[in-house]
Amino acid sequence: MNGPPLEAWLALSAALFAVGLFGVLTRKNLVAILLGVELMANAANLNMVALGHFRGTPFGQAAALFSIALTVAEVVVGLAIVVLLARTHKSVDADAPSEMQG
Amino acid sequence: MIELAMVPVFLPLATFGVLAVLWPLRHSGMPAAWLSVASALASCVAAILAWTGAPVAGEPAQGMVFDWLVHDGKTIAEVGFRLDAISAPMLVVVTFVAACVQVYSLGYMAHEPRPALGRYFAWHSLFIVAMSGMVLAPNMLQFLACWELVGLCSYLLIGFYWDKPSAGRAAVKAVWVTRFADIGLMSGVVLLYVTTGGFAFEMTGDSGAATLVAALLFCGVMGKSAQVPLHVWLPDAMEGPTPVSALLHAATMVAAGVFLVVRAWPIFEAAPPVLTAMTWIGAVTALVAACTALVQHDIKKVLAYSTCSQLGYMVAALGTGSFFGGYFHLTTHAFFKALLFLAAGSVIHAVGTNDLREMGGLAKKTKLTAGLFILGALALAGVPPLSGFFSKDLVLEELLHAHAYGPLLICLAAAGLTAFYMTRVVCMAFLGPASARSLEAHESPPVMLLPMGALALTAAVAGFTTGRFGNDVALAPWHFAVTAPGVAALLLALGGIALAYMKYGQGKLAGLGVPALAAFIRSGPVDGLFVRGWQQGLRPLAGVVGWVDRYVVDGAVNLFGWAALVGSERMRVLQSGKLRDATYLLVMGALVVVAWGAIGGVR
Repeated sequence: MNGPPLEAWLALSAALFAVGLFGVLTRKNLVAILLGVELMANAANLNMVALGHFRGTPFGQAAALFSIALTVAEVVVGLAIVVLLARTHKSVDADAPSEMQG
Repeated sequence: MIELAMVPVFLPLATFGVLAVLWPLRHSGMPAAWLSVASALASCVAAILAWTGAPVAGEPAQGMVFDWLVHDGKTIAEVGFRLDAISAPMLVVVTFVAACVQVYSLGYMAHEPRPALGRYFAWHSLFIVAMSGMVLAPNMLQFLACWELVGLCSYLLIGFYWDKPSAGRAAVKAVWVTRFADIGLMSGVVLLYVTTGGFAFEMTGDSGAATLVAALLFCGVMGKSAQVPLHVWLPDAMEGPTPVSALLHAATMVAAGVFLVVRAWPIFEAAPPVLTAMTWIGAVTALVAACTALVQHDIKKVLAYSTCSQLGYMVAALGTGSFFGGYFHLTTHAFFKALLFLAAGSVIHAVGTNDLREMGGLAKKTKLTAGLFILGALALAGVPPLSGFFSKDLVLEELLHAHAYGPLLICLAAAGLTAFYMTRVVCMAFLGPASARSLEAHESPPVMLLPMGALALTAAVAGFTTGRFGNDVALAPWHFAVTAPGVAALLLALGGIALAYMKYGQGKLAGLGVPALAAFIRSGPVDGLFVRGWQQGLRPLAGVVGWVDRYVVDGAVNLFGWAALVGSERMRVLQSGKLRDATYLLVMGALVVVAWGAIGGVR
């Protein structure tokens, strides 16, 4: 068992999550927000792989594989929504759609 | 004989049903009237036959009852018929007077529009049903139901001339006053059920509970039988047709309260304080109503206050601890007061006014009516050998035996006043110079005179029927004449007659009477008290209650609505519809949940 310890992997994962969250909260471009979401998802994937590895089980990797597959589907849906919004509002600005205002 | 006693309930019920459903028959007028009269006459015959075969005092009652309210296999209340020494004479009185009044109405109401005539007789049939059902009631619950039903008939018949505003007001007033009193009656019936678990006319055991129940029941009696101060509705009830006044508001319905005391005698017997109160209330009613009757100008109002006064006698007599005198006076009074009202109706029919001042000298024009009225007046005044003499003297004798000297003196005074005001009416209506209206007067048709004759016969001889009235001691008629109160009452009555004849018949004694006082009494001081109580007591109270309802109760309700409105107005700012705001809130929410978990909020 060489290489960095578990804490290092978890720290990397947390940092990756924080970067993704920062992107989601601060970017106005819908595509950039989707990229942030992807970063957060991959932080979670990294978490699962690392924990599985250090516990000596293959389930962490299996869960990560499932998660990647789901993320792909999510991105498809998300990008489809972005395309639709771009068509209806002529913009990919996240603040453009405000039909849900109460 | 119980089958015969059921006829006065079911036959008029069928008549009422037919008249109620078949509107062409009801609107036909006279055919409907004759149907009702026929059923009333048949009811009367059946009641008399049932009476002759009815059990006397001490014998077990005949009855036929059916389960009504059944709970857990236990019968709470029954419905049915009970014929005994108490219900049988009352049934005869009710059906006999009702039959006489209905026959009389054929003549008296002949000029009414035909649909109104059918309506009138349908309600008369319903009244016989209600009254017979009440008299024959085997328990308090059926009694109460029929009691309310006669109250309904009273309301409908007082307001018969519904296009006359005063008649409508009088009907509503009658309902209000008796309804107010019925609060007590209903509470009493509920309390009776709570303490005994049933609705029987008797209570065993706790005398405190019996006193309370008797007091509450007596509240209802005071309303229905027009005892001071709840008598105010009875004079107004004279707005109804005169035959209605004769049947409901003189002979039978107003006596229902007295009958209730007789019927529920075991309860009242166990409540001596209530009996004492009854003696005093009855005596005061007898005197106050007699004084009021002295100054009335309306012939029907005189008779109405006279009815109040005589009901006071009955109640006072019941309070002595023996129901025989009161019950006996009830029956004789039913006959002669119904006669007086029918005769008064005949007078009104002849001259077209109620006002005594516009009458006079009618004896020449309407000899028979005058004779019958004077017979009734003498019976009411207590002149032997007419029935009123025996029953009134029995009342006074019972008061003497009970050592109720105060009420006895009051009742003696009322006896003198009774003779005085009846003589006054006779003098003003039948004697003296003929007025303009009297000159055009005409005698009533035989269809009106015949029932008056039948009532006059009973009013004359009913005093000799004591043996059939459930008394436990054999009281012969001549027994009364030798008692001190009997002699005193007779002397007072003769004195009253003589005094009134001198004043109103011969025009002497002009100084007798205080006009200011008479005007005060005529203005209805008790009514004034009720009005002032309403204006100064009830209306401010209603104002306070209204304020609480408007600002406290409604305020609490409106507060919730206002909070929801304002709260949502504030909350809608959060719904900016912007994606990044939503994301921000989502993240913050997740952080709150995480922080909550970190500090141990979730276990």
